[in-house]
Amino acid sequence: MDKSILTLDKGTRCTAWNYSGQRLAAGLVDGSLLIYDSTDPASSTFISTSRFKVQESSILKVVWVPPEYGDAVACIGADGTLSLWEEVTEDTEGHHWKLCKCFDRNTSQVLDIQFGDAETCLKLVAAYSDGQIKIYELLDTLELEKWQLQAEFQNVIDLVSNFGHASCVSASISWNPQRSEVQQSSFVLGFSSNVPALNSPKVWEFDLDHQRWLPVAELSLPEEKTDQVSAVAWAPNIGRPYELIAVATQKGISIWHLGSNPDADGRLSAQKLATLSGHDSEVWEMEWDMSGTTLATTGSDGMVRLWQSNLNGMWHEQAVLTPAS
Amino acid sequence: MPGVTSDSGELNSLSVVPHTLDTQKPRVYPLRLHRVTRPLARLSISWARGNTLRVSLLQTDDAASEQTPGGEVVEVKLGSADAGEIPEAQWRRIAYGSVAPFALLQSRKNSMDALHYEKDWWEHVMEYSKEINSLLGNTKSSVPPTIEDPKTVLKKVEEPTSLKAAWELMEMFYADKQSQTWIPERLLDWLADFDCLFSGTQPTVHAKLVSFQNKLVTIQAVENHPEYWEIMSSALAVGWLDVVVKLLRLHGSYLFDQLGSREIENGLVEAVALLISEMPRLRPDMPTEKIGECYSTKPEFMKAWEKWRAKITKLDCSAFWLQCDHQQTRVGLKNMLQVMLGNASVLSNVTYHWIELYISHFLYVRPFTVGLESMYSLAQKCMHLKPISYRHKLMGLIIGILEENTEVVLAECSRSFGPWMTTHAIELMAAGSTQAETLLHEEQSKIGGICIEELHRLTYAQILSSHALTWNIAPIYLTSCLKQGLGLLENLLYKQPVQHHLVLLKSMEICRLNGLDYVSYNMMKIAGVHYWKHGKKGSAVFWLQQARDEVRLNRIAKHLFDFVGKSVSDESFKQWEGMIELLGTESKTAGGLEFLKKYRDFRRSLQQVQEGITTDAARKAAEALISLMRNPSTPQQFWLPLLYDSLKLLNWQEGPLLNVSQTNLLLNKLQELSLARLLPGFVDAGLPPEALQSVRLALATNLGRAILEE
Repeated sequence: MDKSILTLDKGTRCTAWNYSGQRLAAGLVDGSLLIYDSTDPASSTFISTSRFKVQESSILKVVWVPPEYGDAVACIGADGTLSLWEEVTEDTEGHHWKLCKCFDRNTSQVLDIQFGDAETCLKLVAAYSDGQIKIYELLDTLELEKWQLQAEFQNVIDLVSNFGHASCVSASISWNPQRSEVQQSSFVLGFSSNVPALNSPKVWEFDLDHQRWLPVAELSLPEEKTDQVSAVAWAPNIGRPYELIAVATQKGISIWHLGSNPDADGRLSAQKLATLSGHDSEVWEMEWDMSGTTLATTGSDGMVRLWQSNLNGMWHEQAVLTPAS
Repeated sequence: MPGVTSDSGELNSLSVVPHTLDTQKPRVYPLRLHRVTRPLARLSISWARGNTLRVSLLQTDDAASEQTPGGEVVEVKLGSADAGEIPEAQWRRIAYGSVAPFALLQSRKNSMDALHYEKDWWEHVMEYSKEINSLLGNTKSSVPPTIEDPKTVLKKVEEPTSLKAAWELMEMFYADKQSQTWIPERLLDWLADFDCLFSGTQPTVHAKLVSFQNKLVTIQAVENHPEYWEIMSSALAVGWLDVVVKLLRLHGSYLFDQLGSREIENGLVEAVALLISEMPRLRPDMPTEKIGECYSTKPEFMKAWEKWRAKITKLDCSAFWLQCDHQQTRVGLKNMLQVMLGNASVLSNVTYHWIELYISHFLYVRPFTVGLESMYSLAQKCMHLKPISYRHKLMGLIIGILEENTEVVLAECSRSFGPWMTTHAIELMAAGSTQAETLLHEEQSKIGGICIEELHRLTYAQILSSHALTWNIAPIYLTSCLKQGLGLLENLLYKQPVQHHLVLLKSMEICRLNGLDYVSYNMMKIAGVHYWKHGKKGSAVFWLQQARDEVRLNRIAKHLFDFVGKSVSDESFKQWEGMIELLGTESKTAGGLEFLKKYRDFRRSLQQVQEGITTDAARKAAEALISLMRNPSTPQQFWLPLLYDSLKLLNWQEGPLLNVSQTNLLLNKLQELSLARLLPGFVDAGLPPEALQSVRLALATNLGRAILEE
């Protein structure tokens, strides 16, 4: 059953739903941000409730801040800027959206960001066009203004080498969705760049003893290491003894099995379960459902595809949704 | 499109349950565009709760005219609980109604020991099955008409659903151990109730009977009508004996004016009717309106059967046939005798699809068939004789059951009847055989170590979760899943819009029942932060306290310090008093809050001092001041404002309120404060510059007066 639930304004470039699916943020080509709300939790009609100007250039991506930190979004602009906006109600101004933080703009552009570690200390991973990864930490649980740079590194296994002249077109980040105060936070990140070593997706985990981020797995076969990565997605794990991560390159979508017990060097075993082809060309987005069994993808062929494993562990395309007038 | 079959399907039937039998190419489902037109610039996806996928379709700029919007969001529900047969409201009634029987069965399963399980379990399963079946509608007409029309051979009943038909099949073959010995008779009853379901796609005895009944009012002498004889043979073949006898009595020879001329004819008709009503049936009992003689044990039944068949043979060879002048009657009755004698070619002629033929074989060719194996070979024979022109979903299910292939039955259930059916029918299947039970409960390492039973429950729970009116029953099914149920429940709860009060309360209740305290703390935390950011500070503090979020509460306390530390006007302090009160109720949750409570007491007594001028009140205020200044939890930034506010106390006209040691304590604090001023991180209270000076002077004066007093 399909039904249209809201109409987007002209010039919409990107959309993002909040944690509960009750609010949608839409970024526009003129740098405005629109918020659509459903007032009643049972209804699925949405109306636009706020519109405000974030920046002069087009908004490329909107990401919601985890709900433990309020109703807030991060916006990536076409000019490579990154800003945080928050909805607040104040005595003087009433209910409105205010700018909390504009991250320093240097020569490189922000390509992708994701929030993680909401249980303990909120972190923001940002991938930049020069191949750098920056991790910011929120200093105050109630104020989104104060952030501190916790770490900065490149997406390479060999931490000594440095690639000075990297130029990246896109990047994709996905946190391990597990909510746990015990488990160390980790995320996977891949680039699409002119420096082969940066491209392949690596799983980064925070090492408490040494207080630094370490690459614990690389999700590519030796012959694929240079492939440009267009999207990564870490599946929710509701009780599997292993993790599942989907990686999209120009060669197709691959499903990776990531072990949970590190070897002597602290590495996690990674095994490729399947290579799936379908979108023919670039994969735009990938998202797992809340049980982590169905993967939905979109790509430049204009289709939505659903992927699943059968009981024998064979991954296959389950369905194709094709827009039709 | 390469790699994709061209057949397109309905979204309702989209199955997202993995099977082992899936080999087919992916199906293509159209996503209807309502407001935008192709080409599209981009598609964006997001999973909402459960199995709901939201697709943002963004329009290209150049293609759009002035009127077209920038895009739209389409919500797709992947698969529905019942494969789309039942209207939504009725389906929700079934969903809610099946919760209690399911939960009761689970709790019985958990409390039952192994010995009793073997013996008595099926009785509980039957009780469960009956309750579920009653939710699916009633096929028996409840009130018989007061004046029975002799020409109404078929009672009008509410149109049954395939879902109910499927449930009854499962119950009959898997759960009902008592009827195992007379399954053919149960199958006969089943077809009588549900043959109409096949009418939509192929000819059936039921459809023929309905169309004949409609004609019946206009027909004068039925016995001259070939259809009359055809329909009677058909109804007889599938065992609808009451209908046949009723039709036979419409025969013209029963009319009074015919008595003289058609005695023999009438006698033969009546003889056949009598034989039909004496037919032995291998079943313990029968509904009153049905005919036949019941035998509950096989030897008795066999004896009666032989006798009955002998009577038929005798009638068949009788000389009276030669004296029957009415040719149609003679041929028609003879044909009916052939049906009862089990003439295979006649049976094949008078039935329309293989299940009808199958039933007729049970009745007249192989009445002693027992065991699924022989039932299956007979079914195969019937399918061979009557090839399937349209494979109805119920046929797929029957075949799966008869060939004892649990996987096929499961696949048919989930493909044709949806996740509700699969989840609930698995209980029947597991009770049916050890082999099925093993298959259903075996851990599947390829899907993360869960078993098939759990997989289907999870799928069903996901469908329930995708609707705001049914998400709250999903936990019942999730908690019955040992491995991944709680994980999915957590994810479901984290997606609840907790700023809606009722949703929050319901979610907390679910957490409480399932020991998910940490999830409920997190939800209360989200609600608390939401209120804090949206100006509802009191609710914010309340929920954060419930969430035991010390980090944020301390942060709020600090916020209050900053506030009360800087501003000393009583007006603004009043705004904060309520919150301090609230924070103070569980002061241990945040260390700094103890101070705030004391500070509030001090402010109150100070206010009394300012209103009335009694020395008693002043003394109390002074004591409060000392206790505050002694308390290590009093932040340094408050020292000066406290003292400055207390100038009146320090300069009390009627004598010093503080003794020497108390005054010394305050002087020491003042000293400490002036040293702290030099350190980084000092928070200035924002008091007038002469504040420190005037406090020091007041303290010095007080000290002097105190020394004189002592």
